[in-house]
Amino acid sequence: MADVSQLSTSLRRGTLEFCVLSLVELEDRYGNEIVRRLGEEPNLAAGEGTIYPLLSRLRRSGWLESKWVESPSGPPRRYYGLTSDGRSALAHFRTEWVSFRQTVDRLVGTGEAA
Amino acid sequence: MKTRQNDVVAEYLGEIDQRLAGIPVLQRRELLADLEAHIAAERAERNLASEGELIEVLERLGSPEVVAAAAHEEAGTRPKPPAPPHRRLWPWFAGAAAVLVVLVVCSFFLFFAQSSSNEQAPAEPAVTAPPAVEPTS
Repeated sequence: MADVSQLSTSLRRGTLEFCVLSLVELEDRYGNEIVRRLGEEPNLAAGEGTIYPLLSRLRRSGWLESKWVESPSGPPRRYYGLTSDGRSALAHFRTEWVSFRQTVDRLVGTGEAA
Repeated sequence: MKTRQNDVVAEYLGEIDQRLAGIPVLQRRELLADLEAHIAAERAERNLASEGELIEVLERLGSPEVVAAAAHEEAGTRPKPPAPPHRRLWPWFAGAAAVLVVLVVCSFFLFFAQSSSNEQAPAEPAVTAPPAVEPTS
């Protein structure tokens, strides 16, 4: 069991942040929305609270920007959006990921039968 | 009811804060503010009334250990073990102090008994306890 959770931790590392970037690619979203959306994915779920340190790092490294906005129903919300650096990082990940995935699929035998 | 719910949240955030030692102060404050805003937004948007519902929100956020570990990983710092070793030491000090007090009191009474009855035979030397019977195993 320990190995199973270790594996998903390792797979998450390095990929989860691009899932976050793509969530705010088309429109700004606030923390609860991002966290809720990722929480719906069983492979990514590691406690919704673990997403906030990630958002903080992405903002400090200049891939995300954030702003506090008054909410019609409740406390102010912190909205996150993609910076131009974040946009190019996401584009770069997409090309890398496709070739990476194809390589792993070919070696591990998980690709489409073709 | 409202205050009990605030207690749960404050306790939860406090548990996380305790585990953030080593992380730069502004990042600590940022994380705690983000978590607080998350909880407040869940409460307002989903109209959470009971403490049970609030605890579910906290459980989905993850245990303080898990959240703090993620913060350390992102900040590139190492989680420090919390302070319990200090707490475990004080019973030993208390025990040692109690033994000391008992010894002082005993020697005082021994001394008092000896000096007030010097016409009698000197107090017998301390009775040596028979060697404890060792359980043969």
